[in-house]
Amino acid sequence: MNFFVADPEWGVWIIAYFYLGGIAAGSYFLAMLIEWFGSPEDQDLAKIAYWIAFPLVVLCALFLTIDLNRPERFWHMLLKSEVTKAAFAEGFPFSVAGWRLALHAPAFKYWSPMSAGSWGLSVFGACAFASFLATVWPNRRPGRWLSARGPHRVLQFLGCAAGFFVASYTGAVFSATNQPMWSDTVWLAPLFLASAASTSLAALGLIAWWKDLGTPEARDRLEGAEVLALGLELVVVGGFVASLGDNLLPVLQTVRGNILVFGALLVAVLLPLLLHARVGHRRWWGVPGAAACALLGGLLLRYGAVTTPSELLRRGPSTLVSFAPEEGRRVGERGADIGNPGEEVKPRSKLEPES
Amino acid sequence: MAEPVGFFTDTTVCIGCKACQVACHQWNALPAGHGPAPDTPDGMRQHGYQVSSPDTGRIPLPVLSGNSYDNTGSFSDVNWRHVKFIEEFSPDRSEAAWLMMSDVCKHCVRAPCLEVCPTGAIMRTEFDTVYIQEPACNGCRDCVSACPFGVIHMSERKGVAQKCTFCYDRLRHGLPPACAQACPTESIKFGPLNQLKKAAHQRVAQLHRVGQTRAYLYGDDETILGGLNSFYLLVDKPQVYGLPTNPKVPSRSVIGSTFWSIFTGLMVTLGVLFQFRRRTEAPATQPPSVEEGRP
Repeated sequence: MNFFVADPEWGVWIIAYFYLGGIAAGSYFLAMLIEWFGSPEDQDLAKIAYWIAFPLVVLCALFLTIDLNRPERFWHMLLKSEVTKAAFAEGFPFSVAGWRLALHAPAFKYWSPMSAGSWGLSVFGACAFASFLATVWPNRRPGRWLSARGPHRVLQFLGCAAGFFVASYTGAVFSATNQPMWSDTVWLAPLFLASAASTSLAALGLIAWWKDLGTPEARDRLEGAEVLALGLELVVVGGFVASLGDNLLPVLQTVRGNILVFGALLVAVLLPLLLHARVGHRRWWGVPGAAACALLGGLLLRYGAVTTPSELLRRGPSTLVSFAPEEGRRVGERGADIGNPGEEVKPRSKLEPES
Repeated sequence: MAEPVGFFTDTTVCIGCKACQVACHQWNALPAGHGPAPDTPDGMRQHGYQVSSPDTGRIPLPVLSGNSYDNTGSFSDVNWRHVKFIEEFSPDRSEAAWLMMSDVCKHCVRAPCLEVCPTGAIMRTEFDTVYIQEPACNGCRDCVSACPFGVIHMSERKGVAQKCTFCYDRLRHGLPPACAQACPTESIKFGPLNQLKKAAHQRVAQLHRVGQTRAYLYGDDETILGGLNSFYLLVDKPQVYGLPTNPKVPSRSVIGSTFWSIFTGLMVTLGVLFQFRRRTEAPATQPPSVEEGRP
């Protein structure tokens, strides 16, 4: 673990983005699968999933922008600011020189997860918006055109790929740092992806139960899918914990590390599985209880993952040894003054004159 | 293109005078401490700073940290150089010694900050140094998390990432960086990298000859981030100086993350398909009724 790094101070906005972004991406993906492979009675669930995805992705973009220290420069994530300004100065879009410069304006670094993620989120946002239109107004012009078979399929493919990327790249952003814990594992990306699947299934299941949407068979399928997703998340949590190796101990010495590991394990996975399988089976509160636990666990997982390194840094080993004498410390102990070994350091009152 | 330049910091001759810190502050017009600009005394009062002279709005120097004579504690948005005072004790703790080191941005060959910066604000100059273009930075803080040396910090006033510029403006005019010029003991040496490395190896050999066999170079070869353009002569483990032993190139983890994400994604897809595959199945045949089953 590298304890000599600075804290990027990613906080509440990033946690909210990771959480809602995962649910949005998972919902879109589920909508596509249900639409393609589900029975006609499942289609109501697909609609709900599209309705969830777009508003959440709008919130995500808002949270990401607020988190920037210079929010008015959010577009620098996608376009090189100096090249873009130069292109406009050259007369873009009315001059050839302007267009030539504009071709070099996109800022895309495939090797930087944050850069690639910005593009992924933009593409996913556009697809989620188009699918939202097609679902909400299927008989009006943009919706009618977008819900036609050809464009709809292209949209779904693109949106699904981008959604998958959005759900997992956030973990890759963390791994591609030098922060303690984040940089010591490559399992954060799959962990976020598995959690996105379980939380989106839980959100969809909760809404279906609350609003009494879809047929009982469709809701049963949703429940079955959630159990499978929770099983997968259990395996991925195991992989994440194992990948930390010797670094697991310092992580578990932090409060937030415990929230990450045990929050993910108990609240996000084991408790919902228990509710689905035994305790809540065939009881009215079984499905909503399990969904609520999975949703809360997903939030705890993000909170722990985002904030553990800052706590590790605060507790990290100090290379400096205090030189100030302190009451109760003996010479030779860490932080004590230099003197004869074994000699007790007497605290000196500020008012006491030196002898 | 200009010749690659760098710093060679010989920590054995550093006396902790902080002339480099002062020169850096002066040349780059960096305020003495955190907080609002020196020309806004009202702003300083609001933030709890004691204004030594309301007329000039000067900020008093930060109070001593309590950890030796290191009064800045770490790098920050206004401390682009950090003189470290490291106390070492003998095993019986009857003797003590100070290690001093003037730390700065390493201007890495494979700079993690430059690699991850999504806006392209961090660039490599013609002198092979790493530079942050303030007008392009949007304050995403990815560079802060990527830097293994804790060099980059965000300016509260400007809202952008800040670090040593290697006095790019001075280099353009053929001048050495302010810190190297101010260093009275020549602990900070500036020059073309090839010459610096040659001089550094000679210095290590000289120290070994006189009995200081612990002397070695940190960051002079490609083992650390492809090489550090600001490298050091140390006489103890890197972590004693607050330097990581094995800093990581961020993109190294991207392939692993991608592989496991795709694998997990496939598993999720298969799981959901398993549940929602009904449309492709043929409708189940109804069992014949008792009436129909009769001959």
